[in-house]
Amino acid sequence: MESFLKDAAHPSRDTMDRIRRVFIQSLQLNLSEEDFSYEANLDESVGLDSVAVLDFVAALEKEFGVEFEPEMLTIESVRNLKELAAYLDERTARRDPGAAQPR
Amino acid sequence: MECRQKGYTVVVEATPGMTTPEASRAPFPASTAASPPWVTANDLLWLLYLYPFRLVARLLPRWILYGIGRISNPMVQFHARRTKAKAAPWIAQACHTTPARARQIASQSLSNTMFRTLDALLLARPSSDKMLCCTAMDGFQNLESALARGKGVILLTGHFCANRNALRYLAAKGYRALSVHNRVPPNHAEGRFGRLFLKPRAVALQKSANSDQVYVEDPGCSLSILRRLRAGGLVCIQIDGREGPTVPEQLFLGLPWRIRSGIFELIRVSDCAVVPMLSLGHSSGFQIRFDPMLAIHPASSREAFVAANLPQFLTVVENQIVENPQEWRLWNHF
Repeated sequence: MESFLKDAAHPSRDTMDRIRRVFIQSLQLNLSEEDFSYEANLDESVGLDSVAVLDFVAALEKEFGVEFEPEMLTIESVRNLKELAAYLDERTARRDPGAAQPR
Repeated sequence: MECRQKGYTVVVEATPGMTTPEASRAPFPASTAASPPWVTANDLLWLLYLYPFRLVARLLPRWILYGIGRISNPMVQFHARRTKAKAAPWIAQACHTTPARARQIASQSLSNTMFRTLDALLLARPSSDKMLCCTAMDGFQNLESALARGKGVILLTGHFCANRNALRYLAAKGYRALSVHNRVPPNHAEGRFGRLFLKPRAVALQKSANSDQVYVEDPGCSLSILRRLRAGGLVCIQIDGREGPTVPEQLFLGLPWRIRSGIFELIRVSDCAVVPMLSLGHSSGFQIRFDPMLAIHPASSREAFVAANLPQFLTVVENQIVENPQEWRLWNHF
């Protein structure tokens, strides 16, 4: 978990965009991606309940083809866009070692 | 910002708390008074329970505590007479029994609920695990074979009086189960004093009786459950909470019932096993039964998954209740 936190300052912008899109779609929000700043927490403007969080995580797992590790299954881990993107970058890189990471 | 969120919330237990005759006067389902009084009789009873009685109970042996319970029982039964009178026709209809037997069941259920409340005081003691006396455990192989799948197990049950004893006993044996609750159980008999001052204390006592629990009000609740399931662990779900405007009303024990559907999404995401669990009795002697794993029917959508699986979940719990109606503690709750 520490390894991706080190890269949290520079996660892939593409990954952050995909996360924002998944967030909006999975929660069926009438919002655009631009409504969510890269610097802000995802739940800053939208109240999340327990099932919404589960929907979001399930949708992320489907989108990125990974399964969240148990220590990442906390509300704190999934609300911060940058950290979440860094984690997913790290997980997808681990799954596909040859894949280039767009910045 | 305008947003539209799906209209359902996760799981599970509507922990009923403090029922008095005042609750029985509320329409069914009970409605919340717009402006409750400052203090009710219910508040005073809970004040006694949570402070002097709880402190004294730390020192008393179980047989004295139970003796006090038996002495208090006629008073409790009298206090709840309207609630019981209201529950009896429902019990008679749901359990296909006579009105006289239904009244008896209502009284026994109330009495068992009271002993459950006393057991909570025992479970809050540091050495409480030694006081739990499990007299029989049936179908343990069903639990072990479900755990062997490695994807976690949901223990499916209803609001039975012995659940907390069973979970604490299982935890002491190395089978910890995460229990899911409402932090603020609905109680239509409480006043403002109860709501502001006593309820947090009651929640703290509940937590000390079983610390391995999560609250549905917490946004991280479903992730905590998923984390436990993915670690191959146990989660206990009481599916018969009546608080979810989430799926179309189902008939449960002959009444329209709103079941929260979050559990089904967790099952879909985690692919965990579901094992019906039934626990009966008091801390001085209780039994636990595990039935074979339920066959989960896959479906393409969330709604189809709920539709495919909810009926068998409800049937399982209905059968548990009808077979042991005196152990179910929601008869007198509404």
